[in-house]
Amino acid sequence: MTAALIDGTAQAIAAAVRTGTVSAREIAQETLNRIEARNGALGAFTDVTAKRALAKAHAIDTARARGESLGPLAGAPFAVKNLFDVEGLPTRAGSKINRDRPPSKADATVIARLEAAGAVLTGALNMGEFAYDFTGRNVHDGPSRNPHDLEHMTGGSSGGSAAAVAGGLVPVALGSDTNGSIRVPSSFCGLFGLKPTYGRLSRVGTFPFVASLDHVGPLARSVGDLALSYDAMLGRDGGDPAQADMPAAAASPTLNDRVAGVRIARLGGYFARSADPSATSAVDTIARALKADRVVELAQAEQARSAAYLITMVEGAALHLARLRERAQDFDPEVRDRLIAGTMVPGVWAAQAQKFRRQFHATTLALFREVDILLAPATPCRAPRLEQTTFVLDGREMLVRPNIGLFTQPISFIGLPVVTAPVWTEGEKLPIGVQIIATPWREDLALRVAWALERDGVVRAPVATLS
Amino acid sequence: MTAKAFDPEAVVDAMAPLLGLTLTPESRAQTLVHLRIAAEQAEKLLSVPLDDQQEPAPVFTA
Repeated sequence: MTAALIDGTAQAIAAAVRTGTVSAREIAQETLNRIEARNGALGAFTDVTAKRALAKAHAIDTARARGESLGPLAGAPFAVKNLFDVEGLPTRAGSKINRDRPPSKADATVIARLEAAGAVLTGALNMGEFAYDFTGRNVHDGPSRNPHDLEHMTGGSSGGSAAAVAGGLVPVALGSDTNGSIRVPSSFCGLFGLKPTYGRLSRVGTFPFVASLDHVGPLARSVGDLALSYDAMLGRDGGDPAQADMPAAAASPTLNDRVAGVRIARLGGYFARSADPSATSAVDTIARALKADRVVELAQAEQARSAAYLITMVEGAALHLARLRERAQDFDPEVRDRLIAGTMVPGVWAAQAQKFRRQFHATTLALFREVDILLAPATPCRAPRLEQTTFVLDGREMLVRPNIGLFTQPISFIGLPVVTAPVWTEGEKLPIGVQIIATPWREDLALRVAWALERDGVVRAPVATLS
Repeated sequence: MTAKAFDPEAVVDAMAPLLGLTLTPESRAQTLVHLRIAAEQAEKLLSVPLDDQQEPAPVFTA
């Protein structure tokens, strides 16, 4: 029964722990056994915090025995991309260089919040170096592998997060998303992923990449778990200057609200042009289920992607300049040379990109006066093979690593909240995700639409059967 | 500076020593690839007219 629970949802685990059907310790021990058995194939975990997990589980069981009320995630295991501070671990952010940092003195805010809700941290997860990655490759720790086909990439940079959840190691993992790093691995590994509104969740205790674009959020195998973990992480902590002063409205209570009446349209133009048939067909499936016939244009989406690309180059390079001077040989060469190029991008391009960002924000918000939800592919294709470095999009051969985020970048550029929902096609081993995009601060609406699609069997996120 | 006039080779060779960066030939070659991509992105971005009064997105609050 414990194994079946671990293949299920965090919500079901917490319900079983609360009623005493299973102990938090049994769940934690079975999770640690799974990690031990499967991690070699998946490359998901870089650190397993076994002692801590068992101690936390014991504390939950003791609290229950005393008759104390338990949190909504009581006993539910989770893990975090290794750019989140975990007390006692150096925050490596996928790099070799950061392993020389002293161990973190405290957990990231969002970890502390999940644990306050009863969740049990089991460890830190593999990622692309310094989060500058869409593939899940890592030259230092080896790649994370797609649980649905180990020869294919997870996507990145939250690759270990996706491998851990799709591989059945934990029901929920945290990732970060600067240009698509939650949404891309969610698409490739067949998961639900939530990139909240920019400024919604605290980034305190995370290693940055591009401060003006960085977000954190959860990946899960059910929309209910996305919402529960999101709800638990809400609220200001005063330490993240980008965090907005918004009410911490929980999304879980409104998942069941009606979707009828929500105005839904799919994005055409740029979002249709470079998509291969698998991506277009996934959007067709979801649009049909939602009876969304309307197609709208997101004006200047291509330029938005270009602007996000340039801001990323410049801010990322500024963050790493000293390390590029002193320890160039210790970087992943694929990441290093992109960062070096970023040091040489004219400042006027980045300044222009930030001016354009405000203009694009205004025109996009005007579009949201006519619609509530926009649909677009999360990735232009299904997961490429691990070693693949180029693909053909819109009739042109392109580098895989910088271009997987073609459809995610224009959306995160202005911080819109997005739920990625996984679509499966009969006969295909690999899924592909669709972005369900809402206006700022309406995560609840994107989650509600995803929840209805999951309830109706249109989208799903099964645990992979490892071959 | 227009994106079209941007010469990645000249930029890399001039700027690497100014920035205190030492590039191996392999690293230089890949840096050029990424600077060319940046110039393509800039060309698209700079095609958008922006008002002088257009505020940049990040606004510092004192």
